[in-house]
Amino acid sequence: MTSAPPLDVPLHVKYIQQLDEKKDLAYHLTEHLRLNGVYWGLTALSIMGHKDALPRDAMVDYVMSCWDDEAADTLPPPPSSGAFGAHPGHDAHIHGTCSGIQILIMQDALDRVDVDRVVKFLLTLVGPDGRVEGDQFGEFDVRFSYIFVMVLSLLGRLDAMDTIYDGKGRQLVVDNIVNSMNFDGAFGSEPGAESHGAMVWVCVASLAILGELDRIDRDLLGWWLSERQLPNGGLNGRPEKLEDVCYSWWNLAALSIIGKLHWINRDKLMAFILGAQDLEGGGIADRPGDWVDVFHTVFGLAGLSLVGYPGLRDIDPLYCMPAEVTDKMGLRRDYRTLPRLEQWPQA
Amino acid sequence: MHGVKRTRVSPEAAEAKRIKEQSKIQAYVALQDDVLASKRAKEYTVEALGKTNQLLDLNPEFYTIWNYRRNILTRGLFPESTPEEIVGLLTGELRMTMAYLRVHPKVYWIWTHRMWCLENVPLGPGESKGWRNEFWKTEFMIVEKLLDADARNFHAWSYRRYVVESLPASFSPARSPADELKYTSKKIESNFSNFSAWHYRTKLLGKSWAEITPEEVADEKDQEFELVTQALWTDPGDQSGWLYHRWLIGHNPSPQVLARELESIQELHKEEPDSKWCMNALAHYHLLSARLASASETDVTKHRAEAKTILERLEVIDEDRKERYRELASHY
Repeated sequence: MTSAPPLDVPLHVKYIQQLDEKKDLAYHLTEHLRLNGVYWGLTALSIMGHKDALPRDAMVDYVMSCWDDEAADTLPPPPSSGAFGAHPGHDAHIHGTCSGIQILIMQDALDRVDVDRVVKFLLTLVGPDGRVEGDQFGEFDVRFSYIFVMVLSLLGRLDAMDTIYDGKGRQLVVDNIVNSMNFDGAFGSEPGAESHGAMVWVCVASLAILGELDRIDRDLLGWWLSERQLPNGGLNGRPEKLEDVCYSWWNLAALSIIGKLHWINRDKLMAFILGAQDLEGGGIADRPGDWVDVFHTVFGLAGLSLVGYPGLRDIDPLYCMPAEVTDKMGLRRDYRTLPRLEQWPQA
Repeated sequence: MHGVKRTRVSPEAAEAKRIKEQSKIQAYVALQDDVLASKRAKEYTVEALGKTNQLLDLNPEFYTIWNYRRNILTRGLFPESTPEEIVGLLTGELRMTMAYLRVHPKVYWIWTHRMWCLENVPLGPGESKGWRNEFWKTEFMIVEKLLDADARNFHAWSYRRYVVESLPASFSPARSPADELKYTSKKIESNFSNFSAWHYRTKLLGKSWAEITPEEVADEKDQEFELVTQALWTDPGDQSGWLYHRWLIGHNPSPQVLARELESIQELHKEEPDSKWCMNALAHYHLLSARLASASETDVTKHRAEAKTILERLEVIDEDRKERYRELASHY
């Protein structure tokens, strides 16, 4: 049926284990993504059923070393909010905070962090129009809205949204997300912006977490999302653009949340992702033949898991975390994944 | 890493590269440690600003350093500067980010810093807003250049909307939505496949149509249908025009317009019997026709039957999405 090679789990596990050993120039130049990288690696390993392939305690200690006690760098001190930067010495940012909290929860170490201070940090980022900023310097888009909602949910503190803007915080954030929706049923990075697969995922997942999925036209959005699949099986992020493995996550997770995952060709997509593996050094690339990285590795694996690749662990499309973790926390929502196959390629 | 071809490197070549990189790495790490130490010490001086320049030259994605830079400016340099000097400093910042954007047009942090600079341009000279207007004029030129380089760069499109919305009332010559519409026409005419431009058009027209009479809207819509029909006939396999056409039809079309467009697409379908986009549009517009308040019972039955036939054909032609067609057809 297809000539794509099967998933080489041991090789990818080894690839992730060795990421921290190859300290070349690129390693130093990507420090601003290090904490995210740890989350990507840990999630990838968890999907493959090898969560313990990286030492837990060292990882938790590393996360805590990224804590920025002067988050928001308020003048004058003392600061009352705190959050994570991307690496020790880097400033607090919502993106690092996202990965930090996700890792601590996956490693069952949330007790290490002062949750109240994180919640306070997050609340300072919401603007009067419901936009959510990444830090105090004002960059905003719906990616940050998602992180805001998702992290509050993980912390069991969604109710904190009601404490800002005279109790209207929640409504403002939801409206800002809904205003980023376009006529095609999909979402852009902010109100007015063109629809984009990654933005669709963050918006749909936010609305699902908040129980506001009825704001979405599932047939219309499902159409737009299913048209992201190209004849080679890969998915693109916008009309008339190239395919990329990471959209196997953004678009698929959104399709899964709205119950339309069966609207694309599963086998062709699986073959495309599998074809993007580096079968010598391990890892998955954006498309076949390119250099691999941990970002495309985790989103390729997460996509494969959603569409039922055999032997992988289930992933929660709202949180991009193992379903086992979010289920245990009582966070499961009504999403649909495809049945897990017995073998690949199918007999 | 996006779109970088993998090459096999021999162990010897890898080792040679590692050794060659060592001095670069040492220099980079030393500079980084130095800058982060000044940051911790809250050094907000010209010297510190210079060091952040060197570091950002090597790594413009180091957001902490952009933050530090802004703190140096607002806490150290601005308070001791005249408005003229602040304008000078911000001009330097913009020049620097422009150089970076040429190489890294998709790095969020660089765009953010640029916006921050513009928002910090002081009033003046004197009581006027002359400086601000000058800065915004430059932004217009720059965003045009960036969209010429990559007409689908969504950062650049967002930035364009930001610039247009932020223009001071005193900006001369005034920039109207009609000017922006002309800009999208230019982009679309040079490439029908530029969905970013079509998208912007939906936003511009959506806004301006809310302010004119239904008759005027109908006239303008007809012109839009003409434009998009050209695109559809040029390349029926391109999604951009079809999406725009669907936006023009909307949820609640006038029965005459819907009938006319249905007929026009049927004509195209005769020329392009296997165009899935053509058939998708036909199926959707038949179902819309069946939902019209003015539709007779016979019309409803006829349109639904047509839609069903097309959807069944799509199951075969566009097999990747057959489940979708099956599901839609099952309703009728």
